[in-house]
Amino acid sequence: MQQQEKPPWWKTDFGPPYFKDLMHPVLKKNYGKWAYHEVIRPGVIKRVAESGDVVYVVRFGTPRLISIYTIRELCDIADKYCDGYLRWTSRHNVEFILTDESKIDDLIKEVEEKVGFPCGGTWDTPRGKYGLTNIIHTQGWIHCHTPAIDASGIVKAIMDELYEYFVDMKLPGLCRISLACCANMCGAVHASDISIVGIHRTPPLVDDDAVRRMCELPSTAAACPTAAIKVKAKEKTLEVDGEKCMYCGNCYTMCPGMPLFDPENDGAAILCAGKVSDARHPPELSKVVVPWVPNEPPRWPTLVEKVKSIFMAWANNAKKHERMVEFIERIGWERFFDLAGLEFSWHLIDDFRVPPFMYASYRVGTQFRW
Amino acid sequence: MAEITYTEEDKQKVLEKLDQKTWKIKDLAKVLRMNKKVVQKIVMDLIEEGKAAYWSSGSTTYYATPRYIEEYERRRAEG
Amino acid sequence: MSETPLLDQIPDGPWPSFVKEIKKTAEMQDKAVAEGKEIKMPGSARALLKQIEISYKDKKTHWKHGGIVSVVGYGGGVIGRYSDLEDIVPEVHHFHTIRVNMPTGWFYSTKALRQLMDVWEKWGSGITNFHGSTGDIILLGTRSEYLQPCFEDMMKLDPPFDIGGSGSDLRTPSACMGPALCEFACYDTLQVCYDITMEYQNELHRPMWPYKFKFKFSGCPNDCVAAKARADCAVIGTWKDEIQIDQDAVKEYAEWMDIEEEVVKLCPTGAISYDAEKKEIKIDNSNCVRCMHCINKMPKALKPGKERGATVLIGAKAPFVEGAIIGWVAVPFIPADELFDRLCEMAEKIWEWWDDIGKFRERVGELIWRRGIGEFLNVIGQEADVRMIKHPRTNPFMFFKEEELVQSEVVKKLKEKGIKWRSFEYEEEEI
Ligand code: HEM
Ligand code: HEM
Ligand code: SF4
Ligand code: SF4
Ligand code: SF4
Ligand code: SF4
Repeated sequence: MQQQEKPPWWKTDFGPPYFKDLMHPVLKKNYGKWAYHEVIRPGVIKRVAESGDVVYVVRFGTPRLISIYTIRELCDIADKYCDGYLRWTSRHNVEFILTDESKIDDLIKEVEEKVGFPCGGTWDTPRGKYGLTNIIHTQGWIHCHTPAIDASGIVKAIMDELYEYFVDMKLPGLCRISLACCANMCGAVHASDISIVGIHRTPPLVDDDAVRRMCELPSTAAACPTAAIKVKAKEKTLEVDGEKCMYCGNCYTMCPGMPLFDPENDGAAILCAGKVSDARHPPELSKVVVPWVPNEPPRWPTLVEKVKSIFMAWANNAKKHERMVEFIERIGWERFFDLAGLEFSWHLIDDFRVPPFMYASYRVGTQFRW
Repeated sequence: MAEITYTEEDKQKVLEKLDQKTWKIKDLAKVLRMNKKVVQKIVMDLIEEGKAAYWSSGSTTYYATPRYIEEYERRRAEG
Repeated sequence: MSETPLLDQIPDGPWPSFVKEIKKTAEMQDKAVAEGKEIKMPGSARALLKQIEISYKDKKTHWKHGGIVSVVGYGGGVIGRYSDLEDIVPEVHHFHTIRVNMPTGWFYSTKALRQLMDVWEKWGSGITNFHGSTGDIILLGTRSEYLQPCFEDMMKLDPPFDIGGSGSDLRTPSACMGPALCEFACYDTLQVCYDITMEYQNELHRPMWPYKFKFKFSGCPNDCVAAKARADCAVIGTWKDEIQIDQDAVKEYAEWMDIEEEVVKLCPTGAISYDAEKKEIKIDNSNCVRCMHCINKMPKALKPGKERGATVLIGAKAPFVEGAIIGWVAVPFIPADELFDRLCEMAEKIWEWWDDIGKFRERVGELIWRRGIGEFLNVIGQEADVRMIKHPRTNPFMFFKEEELVQSEVVKKLKEKGIKWRSFEYEEEEI
């Protein structure tokens, strides 16, 4: 495409719309001047500004995958109740901002009945009553090419099971659940109270014909992070070293002739006891506590049961405000495996190339004295 | 920063390579025994002129000619 | 008999169902077609459902990667996809995703949102993700030839929507809602994030680096956008001076809260004391580590100090290849009003260094490990600070710079023999 004459409306590099232009006037007015907040009931946060202005933020869980027709319904509701403004949170929840307290019930009723999204996902730290928020997750079988598990279907199955904790606030502390459908971990779920990660357990099965037809041999070999791929120049195909491969799927990305799927061996690992906030305990990575569960669509009963038992072991035994990692550090891993009914196996002892030793002494998080 | 300059001949060499497969700048520079910054500038200019284009693995980006990419994508789509 | 017996089981249970969303799209799409609306991907939502049903049966994905990247002039923002079931579901044989740069903080007017949905009704599947985990709006599924006209329609909107990042570029930066709604924000997360996004439009749209680079902005150590775990450069609000206390509000909390048990005892450093008689708290700010616990507990009574700014953590990433890491402290404190300038200055130095010597698919954090923290601090012009570590090193295998040595006879002779010392300056690699 040579440079052609561009039409007058043509532009590039203009970036996102300016956020203040899309913000309710009362938020613009009190920008940076909020005084305090209170959670007045599950899903409803009252925010009071220094000016005395009050807004009610009403939060609803969504499935993340949303139809444009549903978004139009949400817009209709925002027009009716919120002067035409709404926002999403960082965890796939949608929020309506009301200035009139008396409209809260009608708003909730309308969203729940018309759209089917439940109100909740909040926590009241002052009172020590915590609700579960939405599961942050990736694409799975809906759109990605390297997943070892589906994402949306598992999230749905888990949230159905833990629904009562979303719409209420009866947990001892914050609990963040995240899911990534392969070890690339697009959602970067490695620092959550509970994370579910799709894992492949078999190297790519090279389809020589497809490789010859579709692939660039050197680029495919070069894409492997562990140098597990050899070019067989004479046969014009590729060979995988099963001892080096760690099933990341990079080669399949480069070359459709390198599928790494085995429906019977792909599945999920479950990790727990990570966090990102610095509150009390500094940030931590999650640790693997279940090495593998199989794919069982459409409802993944084994996976759901394991997640639930980890969740309940914490929910039933943690002290007020304690997150998973604080809880386990207090009671010890041996007790935790007992309480959650999990089996410890040799897979859970780290034998992967550990991160550089020096990293252990670096300060992660922001806990400082001045 | 000094202006990066190159010859028409260098540009031609880069273009030839780009028509053969998808490249990373670093490899292209190595194969052509040219400075990486010069190769990067040439590729950017070629993209600007529409003679080169991007190809992406989702997480990383490669470069080739539009002709090559079109052909490559057609093969991938058909399987 | 239903065509999708497995997916039909999904709407069971109270949580909102993605299957319902796809089915609804399919029905409405058919209706829109029947009404004579211009729909470029008719039947695509129904076909998607069919393909996912097959995935549920086969227990595997049926997508192949495509390398198609974007629109004229851009090198990122589109994820290419082809179905490997083209005979069965031709409608989604090409099903590329467009990443759209969301308004910072995910604030929308219905007017802006409706316009964008109209564009996607015409050019795509009508299915979206609000939002992808980087924060972009994800428009899920269209054909290569519709990418350009779809973007052109997005340009013409009021306000227009631009495309986000993908590939080896600056990924779409994201921020917590900060000052728009939260009293804890220690700097203007939204404005800084927006300004960085605008400053580096070229880096966002035209991938040229060894790999991706992410910025995320949280207004306080609660880190509501999980920047510490996900961003190469995480900017986390904090403060240096004293926590502001409103003792009257403490008294209100004392009415019903067990301050001793839930605030004092849970402070990680024991920095708080409570006078139960006077119902007042005292904080030893020299021992406070700004963790936010007490402030979270008593938002009405406690506020971060007045000397506000941010800490920059560097290097967070997911497991591939060296294992997962959480970002570590690179700059302990930047005052709020200097933040944008200092971040730009730092980012540009890092990018130049990384672009120059970074290996293919090496994130900045990994490069720092490979080259050493000494060189990194030189690159960004940052003095070492005890706040960068949990504890000093446990081994004595240190490097000293040549000029730090006593210029002894031995040193002189070593030099004569041509011994070289590590410089900690990086030099451009010769080819
Ligand atoms: C009482 C203290 C806290 C307040 C006032 C608070 C405030 C907020 C606000 C205003 C949001 C919406 C942000 C946005 O969507 O951009 C939010 C969301 C979030 N916050 Fe906090 N935060 C608090 C404590 C924490 C802590 C300790 C964590 C630690 C993990 C945390 C993690 C999150 C997460 C993950 C979200 C996503 C919300 C969702 O579920 O959709 N927050 N918080
Ligand atoms: C070699 C490693 C990786 C590869 C090959 C890869 C590939 C991909 C691909 C193909 C997608 C598109 C999924 C789709 O829409 O179909 C994607 C999405 C994404 N990637 Fe990665 N990725 C890698 C690592 C990472 C890492 C380490 C992160 C984060 C730190 C990340 C963050 C994301 C995010 C946030 C998305 C959007 C996912 C969503 O919300 O659905 N990726 N990645
Ligand atoms: S986590 Fe893996 S499978 Fe899932 S969207 Fe990311 S790259 Fe694809
Ligand atoms: S799956 Fe990953 S590690 Fe295994 S051969 Fe392919 S690129 Fe290499
Ligand atoms: S990170 Fe801090 S400032 Fe930002 S929304 Fe969360 S609590 Fe508020
Ligand atoms: S912010 Fe954390 S460390 Fe500081 S006084 Fe409060 S609880 Fe203690």
